[in-house]
Amino acid sequence: MIKHNSLAEKYRIKKYFDIIKQDPAVDEVKKFIKEFPKKKALILYGPAGTGKTSLALAAAKENDLEVLELNSSDLRNRAQLEIVLKPATEQMSLFKKGKILLVDEVDGVTGTDIGGIAELMRLVETTKFPMIMTCNDVWQSKLSQLRQKCKIVEMKALQTITIVEILRRVADNEGIKKDISFLNKIAIKSQGDIRAALNDLQSYAGGDISEVDTLERRDVEDNIFNILKKIFKERQPFLDIFDSTKMSLDEILLWLEENIPKEYKNEALAKAYYALGKADVFRGRIYKNQSWRFLIYQNIFQSAGISFAKTNSMPQSFTKYEPPKRILKIWLNNQKMEKKKTISKKYAKYVHCSTKRAMRDFQMIKMIIQKPAVQEQLRLTEDEIAFIKK
Amino acid sequence: MSQSEIWTEKYRPSKFEEVVGQQEILKRVKSLVQSMNIPHLMFAGPAGTGKSTLALIIVKELFKETWRDNYLELNASDERGIDVIRQKVKDFARTKAIENIPFKVIFLDEADALTKEAQQALRRTMENFTNTCRFIMSCNYSSSIIDPIQSRCVVFRFKLLEKKDVAEVIKKIAEKEKLKVDDGAFQTLYESSEGDCRRAINLLQATASISPDINSEMINMISSSTKPSGIRVILDYALAGDFVSARDKLLDVVLKESVSGQELIKAIQKEIWNLQIEPEIKVRLTEKTGEVEFRMTEGSDEFVQLQSLLASFVLAGQGKTL
Repeated sequence: MIKHNSLAEKYRIKKYFDIIKQDPAVDEVKKFIKEFPKKKALILYGPAGTGKTSLALAAAKENDLEVLELNSSDLRNRAQLEIVLKPATEQMSLFKKGKILLVDEVDGVTGTDIGGIAELMRLVETTKFPMIMTCNDVWQSKLSQLRQKCKIVEMKALQTITIVEILRRVADNEGIKKDISFLNKIAIKSQGDIRAALNDLQSYAGGDISEVDTLERRDVEDNIFNILKKIFKERQPFLDIFDSTKMSLDEILLWLEENIPKEYKNEALAKAYYALGKADVFRGRIYKNQSWRFLIYQNIFQSAGISFAKTNSMPQSFTKYEPPKRILKIWLNNQKMEKKKTISKKYAKYVHCSTKRAMRDFQMIKMIIQKPAVQEQLRLTEDEIAFIKK
Repeated sequence: MSQSEIWTEKYRPSKFEEVVGQQEILKRVKSLVQSMNIPHLMFAGPAGTGKSTLALIIVKELFKETWRDNYLELNASDERGIDVIRQKVKDFARTKAIENIPFKVIFLDEADALTKEAQQALRRTMENFTNTCRFIMSCNYSSSIIDPIQSRCVVFRFKLLEKKDVAEVIKKIAEKEKLKVDDGAFQTLYESSEGDCRRAINLLQATASISPDINSEMINMISSSTKPSGIRVILDYALAGDFVSARDKLLDVVLKESVSGQELIKAIQKEIWNLQIEPEIKVRLTEKTGEVEFRMTEGSDEFVQLQSLLASFVLAGQGKTL
């Protein structure tokens, strides 16, 4: 017997297919295989860990079909696919068993897999066996043509109660003694992802409940306020502090920019902005040259760089950090300045200069275009005229 | 068409003979135009020295009354992205010129606003349409234009207008518009426009909108009201240690007066020497200012960089530097 390393793999087909079989998707897949070749291919889509692959595998098992599994990296190119699939699609298996083609994660077929999608399309047309594909998002545009040729079946995220039930059965089977509240915690944390839940069950099988708590805390997205607090108050090389948030480095940079003066004064202030300025220089280079390697420098300057701007760590007192106001102000201002821009544009075209220059000299231009005759020549609207009279 | 009421247009020369200054360039361009064929041209030089004017004269001389049909003016600093430019050029160049001249003319103003990559793309566009189009490009410094483009153009370098040239232009306008301009005013107009004829005329018209009697004092008043204000206030806040107020005021100036970071940094650089701090610290601050200006040209965020400079001013206010 094969020894499975992970519970998720071990119970992939055996147990939890029993439980999710109420899912309407199961019937759809069964029907598809039965009616083949009415429809030649089926796409199962849904969030990670909802059992897409498992369902395909289980369906094969139930119908005593051999599974020929491909992942997106096998689709790398046409030639390679040809070798793998030609024999498979054109002759029956040696043991006279029927086959099912499983192509996992077709959304992983990207622009770099030249011809990958095209090849899939061709496969769908020529296959002599039922073909099942899985993906997270079937509605993306690159899959639009493929979509038309296939039956589409959705798999929803598993309900927490279903996951608890699966965990309970697996725990029983494995002799893991855990009470139901422990299993509940794992289930809630998994957010419908059974694979994650089983992995957690396995990794905490030997531990106790308190460990699940730490695990949860670690996983909770560290919010920006905590990050700012750590950077500003403590004095540590926080190199991976931003890993815990989904916020982009550029957005964090704005938060830091806004809040530095709330914490730092004088020398620390100057040093912190020096570091922020450096982070920004690298940010600029990343954009200009697409050199993503520089992210590491931006990261270090805006974490450790700012943390070490002060000579001593600071008391953990409460500071009210504020979201970046600059972008909002600029936006509001742009709204207000819209008239100025349209006027400048008309003026610029008329006198053969750039709109930018007209905006810059607007105070002077405003005086020049007060005459009605000029306004007529520039074809200013009434709103615009009202604006320059203010 | 009625005459323009905006003086920079109304008094824009439309013949070679009317142009003031740049006489060497005029001679050469005139002989090119007389042959009814021009190569690609590049006009390099400061603002307000007659680059656009000369481009317009060229097309008027070449195409006479139909110049509008055969001339396309694009401003690189306004047209975002080379694709827009390429498309417009394509559309324009698709049809042949109607006149007995086998090409149309495209004037690409402020070509140095294009990135190097965009310039590479432009170079291909120039090649593709070389049979049907001639380009005239203007820029402040030819060094910011990539070599392959420069080598395809005949480059003319425009000089700043001399004081007597600006005075001549102003005198002519004053006469026609029945203004009284005193001698001091000529000097002031020249100084505050820094040889930029467009600015000098605008300044004259803005001042004239208040009174037809124009003196030096009035021009100074108008001129200073049109320059970025509040630089000193920003720096004073910073020197006094009030970083947040300095920053708020900075954002205010940038937004309300549409001042670019580059202009602000230039104004700060000048203002440093008027501040009440140790000369040694002034030198250090100047160094920082230079670094910030460089970073801006490199594509850094202007506001982040200006803030880091302000933070240095906070330290300088206490007699310290980083």
